[in-house]
Amino acid sequence: MIAPLPHDASVNGHLVDGIFRYIGVTTTACFLVMAVVLFAAVAFHRDRGGRRQARYTHGNGRAAGVMSVLVAAAIFFGIDAVALRRSASDLRDHFWRFPDRDPSALRVEVTAQQWAWTVRYAGADGRFDTADDIVTLNELHVPVATPIYLKLRSKDVVHSFYLPNFRTKIDAVPGSTTRLWFEARETGLYEVGCAQHCGVSHYKMRGLLTVTSAGEFRRWAERAAADSALRRDNGPPAEPAGADGWDWES
Amino acid sequence: MRSLAPAEVEGVVVDDRGAAAREIDSLVGMAIFLAAWAMLFAALFLAYGVVRVQAAEWPPFGAPRLPRAAPALNTLLLVAAGLTLRRGLARARRRHDARVPRPALLASILLGLAFLGAQIALGQVMRARGLLPSSGVYGSVFFALTGFHALHVLGGLCALAWLALRDRRGPRPGPGAEPLRAARLVALYWDFMAVVWLLMYLAIFWL
Amino acid sequence: MPERQVEGGPEGAWPRDEASESDAPMTRATPPGFWRRYVFSTDHKVIARQFLFLGLVFLAVGGFLAMLIRWQLANPGVPFPLVGKLIYGASGGLISPAAYTALFTMHGTIMIFFAITPILIGGFGNFCIPLLIGARDMVFPTLNMLSFWAMFLATAVLTASFFVPLGAPQAGWTGYPTLSTAIGTPGPGQTMWTVAVYFNGASSIMGAVNYITTVIRLRAPGMGYFKMPLTVWGFWLTSMLNALFVPVLAAGMVLLFFDRVFGTKFFIAGAAVKGGGDPILYQHLFWLFGHPEVYILILPAWGIVSDLLSFFARKPAFGYRVTVWSMIAIVVLSALVYGHHMFVTGMSPMLGESFMLLTMIISVPAVLMFFNWLGTIWRGAMRTRTPMLFALGLVFTFGIGGLTGLFLADITADMYLHDTYFVVGHFHLIMAAAVLLASFAAIHYWFPKMFGRMMNEPLGKLHFWLTIISLNLVFCGQLLIGYAGMQRRLYDPSVYDFLKPLLWLNRGISHAAFVLGAAQLLFVINFFWSLARGRRADNNPWQVGTLEWTVPSPPPHHNFDRLPVVRQGPHELGNPRVRDALGRDWIAQDEDLP
Ligand code: HEA
Ligand code: HEA
Ligand code: CUA
Ligand SMILES: [Cu+2]
Repeated sequence: MIAPLPHDASVNGHLVDGIFRYIGVTTTACFLVMAVVLFAAVAFHRDRGGRRQARYTHGNGRAAGVMSVLVAAAIFFGIDAVALRRSASDLRDHFWRFPDRDPSALRVEVTAQQWAWTVRYAGADGRFDTADDIVTLNELHVPVATPIYLKLRSKDVVHSFYLPNFRTKIDAVPGSTTRLWFEARETGLYEVGCAQHCGVSHYKMRGLLTVTSAGEFRRWAERAAADSALRRDNGPPAEPAGADGWDWES
Repeated sequence: MRSLAPAEVEGVVVDDRGAAAREIDSLVGMAIFLAAWAMLFAALFLAYGVVRVQAAEWPPFGAPRLPRAAPALNTLLLVAAGLTLRRGLARARRRHDARVPRPALLASILLGLAFLGAQIALGQVMRARGLLPSSGVYGSVFFALTGFHALHVLGGLCALAWLALRDRRGPRPGPGAEPLRAARLVALYWDFMAVVWLLMYLAIFWL
Repeated sequence: MPERQVEGGPEGAWPRDEASESDAPMTRATPPGFWRRYVFSTDHKVIARQFLFLGLVFLAVGGFLAMLIRWQLANPGVPFPLVGKLIYGASGGLISPAAYTALFTMHGTIMIFFAITPILIGGFGNFCIPLLIGARDMVFPTLNMLSFWAMFLATAVLTASFFVPLGAPQAGWTGYPTLSTAIGTPGPGQTMWTVAVYFNGASSIMGAVNYITTVIRLRAPGMGYFKMPLTVWGFWLTSMLNALFVPVLAAGMVLLFFDRVFGTKFFIAGAAVKGGGDPILYQHLFWLFGHPEVYILILPAWGIVSDLLSFFARKPAFGYRVTVWSMIAIVVLSALVYGHHMFVTGMSPMLGESFMLLTMIISVPAVLMFFNWLGTIWRGAMRTRTPMLFALGLVFTFGIGGLTGLFLADITADMYLHDTYFVVGHFHLIMAAAVLLASFAAIHYWFPKMFGRMMNEPLGKLHFWLTIISLNLVFCGQLLIGYAGMQRRLYDPSVYDFLKPLLWLNRGISHAAFVLGAAQLLFVINFFWSLARGRRADNNPWQVGTLEWTVPSPPPHHNFDRLPVVRQGPHELGNPRVRDALGRDWIAQDEDLP
């Protein structure tokens, strides 16, 4: 297509693009039919100085009825129903099928606040809200070809965690927990956006998503764990350990 | 059948469709207004339902309980105000009088005022017991819903006061200006607010 | 041009109801005195003009804010030229991030609640309903006046909110908490926003009660529901939505107000809050109103355009009843689909899928109506006068805008598109293109009846062509840039690497928007010039049969000397029998077939 769609780095993004393409093609066809009829009527069925007589019809006849039922059915079954079915099955089989039971999935907690993302990994013990959690700011590191399972909360206002290169987003809402999962198809550096207006610096609430190989990710995690520990030891004592974290199940 | 005969009122010629037609007009209009108010309060009840369902515990731990007996008395006050108005209206109609009898009007105003006073007192008592609008959703629901309803009762009181003042100057004669019509609409409004209060009382104080 | 004389009462000898036999001419003296006549008037035609002027002023304000928005997106960090220093003195004309958030908040709020609503619903709803159904005024004239003054109060509060300490409202036109509570936007500005929206709603409800009752009670003899012009249907259905769903918004505003002022906690939650409520609850209340609201805005436009297409194609409206039933179906469905604005709030899958299904079903009645529009102009004898051009413009832009709604209705696609410029493009194509074009169509079409003068045709056509071309460039550009992933409400998109290469597209959109803005000056000129100097209009300049064209332009205070008795449908154009007997292709609604 004409517009520079962001590069799709995800396993499931093609489903989104596929539905978009399907609706795009069918509605464009509709639109063209409509435009041709419209312009033809304007061009050919004009008054032209009172010489032309309009056809006197109220459009209540059987032919008109049949035509409109056909058009409505074409739109409903041709566009709506197909998109609906595809979307419903994509959602059930992929986007809403959260890797709850998948031991290989990497779990990450994201806390949004004006105007930054705090990212928290469970650390070595595999449990959140404990002393060995890895905490980073605006930086999400994930291994490639692994389901990444996010749970999100917000400290202040509604934000929206947006991954343009993964064709997905989810709101982070104060007072409740939302979730999202995705899987990277290739390594690289991608951007995390905030999509919900969250105040003056909403436009600056940008994060980075680094997708690396599994080995590199492990090395990064070790370094980050050490960093986190260091920060905790040297940092201001005001903040209790795991201030923004929460138990994964809660 | 519409009457198209013109009629003279204060020097201005209006088309008078007859008092009966105007009466129906105003009832239709009022029905739509009441539907709008119903949606307004339904939305507030919905909000209450949502925060209530999401609350871990209701009333929340440590929050003072809302009393049940005293507001029941308030309910009676509001209903009584409506009933006096209704009775006044019926009497006026029986006598073919264009005015609601003053005693009835004044009695409903007083009863309405008493209701408002009692509501305010209730709010003060709850405040004294430590329930504030800002002390969480429980207090929010109590103060916002009853307060907003009280504002509407205040509006009804203004309408009653307006009726009383207008009728003191004597009913305006003439077609298209049948004074009981306004009183009837006010009575409808009053009944409506009584029903809303009753539901509110059951939902907030008992449920 | 066969012109029908109506001043002396209807000519021709058709049988009249005994009821309308009365010979005394029906007059209602115009109230004496300037104040009663022009300011606190209860005449629906005066109130209509008050609403219209109010709306146009705010359309200009909202349009100007849009220009500021587009300036910032095209030239981030460059001071706004000319008047920039006046508005943003402290920053030397630079639009700050805080100013930008106020800009789009006020732009959206003003355009929806204070421009389109007063122009179309307050202005033309008031003007058209009594005239088109053959009534002398609204059924509750005083309520009508109150409706205007409630709107006026609301505009005063909203305008004042620009100038208060801590600045104008900044939480977006949707005002989502917790951003719109004291947590995100302290200060009186946002509080005044809730008050302004509340009073605006009060105005709409009062208007709605009046419109609905007027249509039920004051239709002229013979004016059955299915003989009403589709314009009246549009306003009538809109009023029903207004009466039922604006109160839901009002409830949201009340609770938000309490949260801000009295410290209640309905919508407040978060790390520092104990015993809080639910921010998402507000979204439910807002969209339970908000989706009906978008149909509130477009139903009058649909009605007007369905009529105009028929009048200027000189052909009866195609499938009148199907059009009416489609509009009714959309009204019924409108409240059931609102969840499509909340697909990514984490709503339950079952709820999400139901909303997706219902949203898609709405396309069926929309398509039926669309089909009828094309059927109406097909094989007509079209007169492409200015109102018709604008009506055709609506058909075109609503086609694109409506079809883009189908992408958004699909959850899978919406996960990507939500809160991107694709949404912005979608709703501008409908509201800022289709509905705005319908407003222009209505202004050009009823101007002669309102003010007794014609608007200038060549200037109107030039305005149309410049508008429709730049409009489509702007809003299709928004669709494209949204498809490329750009979020809404971004002060400076170049913060994101993936949006940096799109600066040229943003610039292009902005330049088209500036052309669009400049083109509106033509309209302003045309409007005021025609008001003062336009050619005098006769009673029926467009040669159509609906009742407003049977009375003088502008109509007398009491509209109709005699209440008309309706014999015809509103679109009896090109009837061969009429042509043979009367030598013209139209017949008034109160005339008998020869
Ligand atoms: C007047 C305004 C208006 C109208 C009429 C509509 C109409 C529709 N809207 Fe739109 N919408 C808005 C104004 C409007 N919308 C606004 C303001 C927002 C955003 C608010 C915000 O977040 O700030 C929005 C947002 C919005 C969303 C949420 C997007 C998001 O935030 O992620 C969705 C999702 O489903 C949606 C869907 C639809 C649909 C399906 C219709 C349908 O009614 C459309 C039906 C029409 C058609 C289907 C087209 C007609 C048919 C043809 C052209 C076929 C012709 C072919 C032949 C005859 C052969 N809209
Ligand atoms: C009906 C509603 C409407 C209308 C008409 C418009 C019109 C326009 N809008 Fe707007 N817009 C919204 C409703 C509308 N908009 C809403 C709801 C939002 C969302 C806000 C939010 O995010 O919270 C939005 C947001 C919005 C954005 C996104 C901002 C962001 O997310 O950061 C942009 C950006 O390009 C934009 C641009 C424009 C432009 C260029 C026009 C142009 O069409 C404007 C051209 C018009 C004029 C220049 C005025 C002409 C004046 C007259 C004709 C007056 C004549 C006067 C007399 C005769 C007295 N709008
Ligand atoms: Cu966080 Cu926008
Ligand atoms: Cu919607």
